[in-house]
Amino acid sequence: MNGTTTVSLVGVGGQGILLGAAVLAETAMAAGLDVKASDVKGMAQRGGSVLSTVRFGRHVYSPVARHADVVFATELLEGLRGLDLLVPRGTLVCATTRILPGGVLRGEEAYPDELAAAAAARGARLMLLDAETLAREAGNARAANIVLLGAASLVLPFSPDAWDHGLGAAVPAKILDVNRRAFALGRDAGARQEVDP
Amino acid sequence: MRSHCAARAMAWSSPCRRAPPLIGYTLCPVERALFLSGNEAIARGAQRAGVRFVCGYPGTPSTEIVETAASLEGVHAEWCVNEKVALETAVGASLAGVRSLVAMKHVGLNVAADPFMTLSLTGVNAGVVLVSADDPGMHSSQNEQDNRAFAKFAKIPMLEPADSQEAYDFVAEAFALSEEFDTPVMLRTTTRLSHGRGRALPRVPVPAPELPYERDIAKYVMVPQNARRRNRLVLERLQKLRRRAEESPLNVLEAGTVDFGIIASGVAYQYAREAFPKAWYLKLGLSHPLPYEKVARLYQSVARVAVVEELDPFIEEQVRALGLPVMGKEVIPADGELDPETVFRALEPFLARRPPRRRRPVTPSAPRLATPPEVPAGLPVRPPVLCPGCAHRSVYAALQRHSLAPLGDIGCYTLGALPPLRALDSCLCMGASIGMMSGFNQALRRKAAAAVIGDSTFFHSGVTPLIDAVYNQSEGLVLVLDNRTTAMTGHQGHPGTGLRPDRSQGPAVDVQRLCEGIGVRCATVDATDHKALDAAIRAEAETPGLGVVVALAPCVLMVRERAGRVVVDEERCNRCGLCLDVGCPALAPGEVAMTLTDACTGCGLCVEVCRRGALTLEPAESRGA
Ligand SMILES: Cc1ncc(C[n+]2csc(CCOP(=O)(O)OP(=O)(O)O)c2C)c(N)n1
Repeated sequence: MNGTTTVSLVGVGGQGILLGAAVLAETAMAAGLDVKASDVKGMAQRGGSVLSTVRFGRHVYSPVARHADVVFATELLEGLRGLDLLVPRGTLVCATTRILPGGVLRGEEAYPDELAAAAAARGARLMLLDAETLAREAGNARAANIVLLGAASLVLPFSPDAWDHGLGAAVPAKILDVNRRAFALGRDAGARQEVDP
Repeated sequence: MRSHCAARAMAWSSPCRRAPPLIGYTLCPVERALFLSGNEAIARGAQRAGVRFVCGYPGTPSTEIVETAASLEGVHAEWCVNEKVALETAVGASLAGVRSLVAMKHVGLNVAADPFMTLSLTGVNAGVVLVSADDPGMHSSQNEQDNRAFAKFAKIPMLEPADSQEAYDFVAEAFALSEEFDTPVMLRTTTRLSHGRGRALPRVPVPAPELPYERDIAKYVMVPQNARRRNRLVLERLQKLRRRAEESPLNVLEAGTVDFGIIASGVAYQYAREAFPKAWYLKLGLSHPLPYEKVARLYQSVARVAVVEELDPFIEEQVRALGLPVMGKEVIPADGELDPETVFRALEPFLARRPPRRRRPVTPSAPRLATPPEVPAGLPVRPPVLCPGCAHRSVYAALQRHSLAPLGDIGCYTLGALPPLRALDSCLCMGASIGMMSGFNQALRRKAAAAVIGDSTFFHSGVTPLIDAVYNQSEGLVLVLDNRTTAMTGHQGHPGTGLRPDRSQGPAVDVQRLCEGIGVRCATVDATDHKALDAAIRAEAETPGLGVVVALAPCVLMVRERAGRVVVDEERCNRCGLCLDVGCPALAPGEVAMTLTDACTGCGLCVEVCRRGALTLEPAESRGA
């Protein structure tokens, strides 16, 4: 709305959604934009569904928005849930990671399998990545969030310098190198997926 | 009218008293009329309403309610350590099925505000009535707050008796409302009512319904997903209560003979009635929520309307919000007490003026609600869960072997209420578990409930109810889940750890020694040692009286080294799913057998439930060797 871009980051508590949002926000600030971000912390962090929103533009008013231009999901079911947040021709960047919620583990509910179809039905552009494998390749499976951010960077308007600055500002120094590698691997993998850019 | 008023003005030194008309009750004089203070009348009214549990904390002008109740047959009365604990204790007794009344002075409700506000969401089992005794004029108070705002704040019904008879009668009304609408009810008195005395005819007792305890996690455990649904019910309940206020005989439109109407409640009604005997009245006994249509009807009958109320313009603002012209706080003092003369002098000039133009009220329509009434079916939900290896899970496993109702508190351990564990029956507010346990066990006169409380929560507000339980000789088992941190909010320090926000180390308070200091049996046990934990809980569950078990194990998120890892014997595992009942997110059914993710810390809880010996714990030392 009003020249503001909205990115929603969804996943399971503990997957580094907050860090992903922080990198994105720092990147947008490095690019000279106004940024607002909003995280839900607390109880949700204990393995529940989590949602962070980052909004950037020339001047950002609201910290939240009902719909996002890009949804970034670190888990498949959360990605499917996240489709609801997406504007009609928006992009969903989603990891193939599956984390079964309790109801599915106990056989009370079924883990849905229809992400590609659901995305197509909504006219959404889907980038599906085995982020965990790529993160392991980069040196740490926990960097899957940053792998996805690398892929998402293809549809976000920031220069490589801005991204690098964002990573440097948000990621603890100890794990910065691993995350830089993860970001690059994600960007490459995303580029290979780009069907119609 | 004017000359009459003037004549009355001169007669203030000896105003002729006439009893206000009794409304809407069938009189059943089983005894002669008694001469009771409002507080005595409330206590007797409670006895009449089948209330078996009365508690509170002393404070003028509320004190005599508990004192009188203590002298009445069939009523158990307690002084609690403070008002918060008193309310929580009353809630515990209500859960156990006993109507309970809790009394405090106005500022006491500030102390009890945490349970009070969320009790509106959970509702009650047997009725709960909170008496707030306000002190206009600050005869013996540090402030003059008008607690009617609290009823509005919590969206609960409020009754305001205007004399001793009503104080007596309204208690039974309040309990009936509480149970019918599943809500706590506030009974508000003021000093003049509480300490003033008047005639009161005793009525035939009303039997309290049988309401045995039934666990209902969705109703009593206020984790966000449950609280959202309950909150919706609260908003709907308020609409229903407003309709009840329209019909209720407690809200009476009394016809007058002059073109002047007064809206009033409580003792202010008496002042107004004496000052303006010919006016029309809307007397509000059920004063929150305000019956808009009854207000409108008063405006159909008269052109001039005033609200006579002590302290805040509580009713007045609501009437103004309907777009109706009203006389109120610009002439009626907003501080101190009123009396008939003050009311008369304030309003008399108003009657000489030309009446305002008549207006129709604009009543607000029911508010729109955003939360859907039911969780929409669709994708599987993903509520938060206890972490793999969390010691809270072991405590629940041990506690579930006993038939004690596990009453809870707020912290990570509240997640134990969710499936598959369903191991916690209540979560009202921080520190509520112990007081609720006391009330529950006092009501049933046996050790029927346990309290589950985290270490940070214990220091926040668990110590006072424990002292209360000692003082009132309540039975119970208190489990302090000591994970050496405030985990839920992100691992902050607390007095039990001594850690400060700048990471410096201060002195740490020891739970065990604190318990011993206040005379409570206490055992501290390593919560990762499941056998020892089980034995400690069993010993305490089977021993009468009050005891604490401190289940000690640092939060797994703070522990770097792991105990080991569970491995699955794929030959033996038949994927029966028994281990899934432990509710550990590291366990998942695989193609041929259960699988364990890297998140497994080797706590071994799942190993203990497997009946086929398919799971074994590989201790950390032997791994990779
Ligand atoms: C009055 C109030 N203050 C603060 C909070 C936020 N809060 C929720 S649980 C909690 C403490 C949890 O710590 P603890 O009891 O040690 O349990 P743990 O999470 O470590 O298992 C806090 C501070 C609250 N719910 N209510």
